[in-house]
Amino acid sequence: MTGLAVDDAAWASAWRRRAPGDKLLLCGGLVVTALVLPAWPGSVLVGVVAVGLALGPARVPARTFARAVRWPLVFVAVGALTAVVTVDGGGPGWAPDAAARAGSLVGHALAGSAAVLLLATTTPMSDLLPALRRARVPAAVVEVASVVYRLLFVLLDSLHTVREAQAARMGYSSLRRSYRSCGALAAAVLVRSWDRARRMQDGLAGRGLETGLRVLPETLPSSAAFLAAAGAGIAGIVAASLVLA
Amino acid sequence: MHIAEGFLPAEHALGWTIAAAPFVVHGARAVVKEVRENPESTLLLGAAGAFTFVLSAIKLPSVTGSSSHPTGTGPGAILFRPPVMALLGTVVLLFQALLLAHGGLTTLGANAFAFAVVGPWAGYAAYRLTRGAGAGLLPAVFAGVALADLATYVTTSLQLALAFPDAESGLAGALLKFLGVFAVTQVPLAIGEGLLGVLLFRVLTVNARPELERLGLLKPVPVAAGGAA
Repeated sequence: MTGLAVDDAAWASAWRRRAPGDKLLLCGGLVVTALVLPAWPGSVLVGVVAVGLALGPARVPARTFARAVRWPLVFVAVGALTAVVTVDGGGPGWAPDAAARAGSLVGHALAGSAAVLLLATTTPMSDLLPALRRARVPAAVVEVASVVYRLLFVLLDSLHTVREAQAARMGYSSLRRSYRSCGALAAAVLVRSWDRARRMQDGLAGRGLETGLRVLPETLPSSAAFLAAAGAGIAGIVAASLVLA
Repeated sequence: MHIAEGFLPAEHALGWTIAAAPFVVHGARAVVKEVRENPESTLLLGAAGAFTFVLSAIKLPSVTGSSSHPTGTGPGAILFRPPVMALLGTVVLLFQALLLAHGGLTTLGANAFAFAVVGPWAGYAAYRLTRGAGAGLLPAVFAGVALADLATYVTTSLQLALAFPDAESGLAGALLKFLGVFAVTQVPLAIGEGLLGVLLFRVLTVNARPELERLGLLKPVPVAAGGAA
């Protein structure tokens, strides 16, 4: 358990051993399809396929998926509602096509979010970062991103431990104390992150670090059948959308 | 407050990605140069990125009784400078999209422009101006951190207004709508994050003074003549 439910789901997913490139193509295709096709039926079909694949073949826990989608849902609900309210001299009112516009916004956003979550809950970040290198992102940038990924779990653990200790000492018993505790918490995490980085640097220097933090990436074979099914599925969604629209 | 995946029309998502790209590329070049000259910087920059991510996981108490999460880019911009934050902020946004489902991939450019470019630059400018006006470290930190948060929120509202202009009152009406709706959470959050920044730096000036001196935020304390044995 890493402390981040989406990351835990990615490591435990039945699709964990599938090639990251295959999953990127499938999910990237679904994201773009959700964005460019009309919400009905294009985005609805993308949403159904993404959720079906996640809860079915990829065996992502439904609870994890539902909890993860809560955050975008709040933004989408508030944003869509604001977008379809009109304001003029006579006060607020509904735009003429408010229901259709809100439905389209919600459809595009939820389908796209489901497609991104399908990727996130089946592919750990450590599998995706080498793909950035293949996309010609500089090695130094990918290395910094890899260190961010590896350190953030240590820091999240520190954050929870320090916060628990503060709470046990009545550190959050009033607004004033809560702010003071939050400031001390952020400082403790920052100082620990520097300390961790310095100790890692000392350890690596002792082992002769001269160039980058090179690690042997795990090679997961691509599946022609998976890619063919992904391509056929996306083509099917596009075709169905064009026919039904 | 990140724009969710699929919320922006395709042409807006692409436009904001193009707008953010030069800043992120500039940040990437700064990081590559820094790592080439000092290979050990990789770990410190990684620690800075991880700290920004973790800072956004701290629950900040609100006067209304609820809680919200700081953006984390203000302290980062003051500590590590805006060009570096353009890259680190974008990396953090990518991780937030893929680990927390906050934001998205097609909206990464728009979110990066608000969160990793405008926020840090506005915050850093406020910090420098306040210090230049003779204020101490802590008032300048409050101004920088609070303004970084406010600038991010105003930019996000502008992005939404451009994408969804009001049917009656156009862009100006839409901007007022989005600013008004998100002000309920974002204005108290900006003040709260400014206070958090002050408390954070107050602790750091005591516990991590050498690091702040190395980063150029504090002047080294001169050693007294004939110093202690």
